[in-house]
Amino acid sequence: MNLPLFLFVGFVAVLLLGLGWALREPRERRKRQADPCSLEERSQRQVDYLPQIRQALTAEDYEFLSKKASRELQRRVRRERRSVALAYLAALRGDFQSLLRMARVIAVLSPEVVAVQEFERLRLTANFSWRYQMIRWKLMAGLAPMTQLDGLSDLVSGLSVRMEEALKELGERAAVAAELASSMNRRGMNTV
Amino acid sequence: MRQILWVVNIAAGMLLLILVADRRNYRAFPAFSLYLLTNSTLSVLVFLTYYRWGFTSPSFWWFSWGMRVVAVSARALAVAEICRHFLARYRGIWGLAWRVLLACAASVLIYSCIAAKYQWKLALIRAERGLELAIAAVIVAVFVFVRYYGVEAKPADRSLAVGFCLYSCFVVLNDTILEHYLYRYELLWNVLGMLAFLGSLLLWTWALRKPQAEAGPEETLLPAGIYQTVAPQINLRLRLLNEQLGDLWKREATRH
Repeated sequence: MNLPLFLFVGFVAVLLLGLGWALREPRERRKRQADPCSLEERSQRQVDYLPQIRQALTAEDYEFLSKKASRELQRRVRRERRSVALAYLAALRGDFQSLLRMARVIAVLSPEVVAVQEFERLRLTANFSWRYQMIRWKLMAGLAPMTQLDGLSDLVSGLSVRMEEALKELGERAAVAAELASSMNRRGMNTV
Repeated sequence: MRQILWVVNIAAGMLLLILVADRRNYRAFPAFSLYLLTNSTLSVLVFLTYYRWGFTSPSFWWFSWGMRVVAVSARALAVAEICRHFLARYRGIWGLAWRVLLACAASVLIYSCIAAKYQWKLALIRAERGLELAIAAVIVAVFVFVRYYGVEAKPADRSLAVGFCLYSCFVVLNDTILEHYLYRYELLWNVLGMLAFLGSLLLWTWALRKPQAEAGPEETLLPAGIYQTVAPQINLRLRLLNEQLGDLWKREATRH
């Protein structure tokens, strides 16, 4: 008898939670406002540090230490490497989000978007978030080998390069369009 | 108490209508202004009917519920207008959004029909509840769109939408409880409904206290080819990235 009551009250509760979530300013946007660095500068910075981060995560150093160093030192190194790996993973996610943001900007400024592409990206983002959290928890619990994050970084930096190319292309097209519009104005032509 | 609140609501609605006319906000919000006008007219009509036939007469019951259906339909139009205000400047996104919002509203209506058992006596309450639930769901969905795409929303649009959403949620809860405790709850249901509407009216008055600019021109958009070239590339890369993460996850799962 009370099933409809629960169904409707539950639905309204979900809607109100959704409304509260949607009205809150996203954390990443707040951070972006606080950070004067541009999107491109930030993603570029992560790529710059990749060789050092990779070096910090190589297995050889740890194997060497396990043979030569005391247990205390090994523990300390393990702890520090874990924190480096976590910071690296967070940086990768930052890069991933920056790229997604660019993709959204392109979608917002496009005269036509394809629903399949948009939903595909949404699904991939949800997938990435889930897997990222899983790997993060495993790293925190000391269960995941850090060297395997290398492949992940290659993909993200590859994506950065492609996006930079796309943005460069956009910039060039915009410049051509502006030049065309300005020359048409000079000749007194209507662009519409 | 009920009569006083009724008069206060009618007065607040009229004041808002005058404010909208004075600030010329009907240019920016024609459907919302029409909703206010419809609602105020209907409130006066229902009030007069109440004096003519009394609160418990069947004529008053059917008349007032018929008027409510008209008011909810006008509200749905106003909500559609606010959704357009949020997203219509971005042609591509709007093209996707209105289809999703329409599908969302239809799904919620179907959900409402399934969740409620059919009874003639309660058909109007349930129809109203379904529409209100659809309105609330559409507003939440449009806010999710705005957040996902990082689109800037004007404070007035946000306040109007929040007012509609909260009121609709309240009506759904109220109607659901009314359905279960029909006779004991009727007076309280009426008073609470009017209080919720008064709250929304005050929020809208605050939102429209200043003149609002009409919807601006469409944003300068990129050539269509850019999206068609870049979006599949991005998705392909994201898919590869996810597969890599998935491999990492599976390898770990088989190891431990």
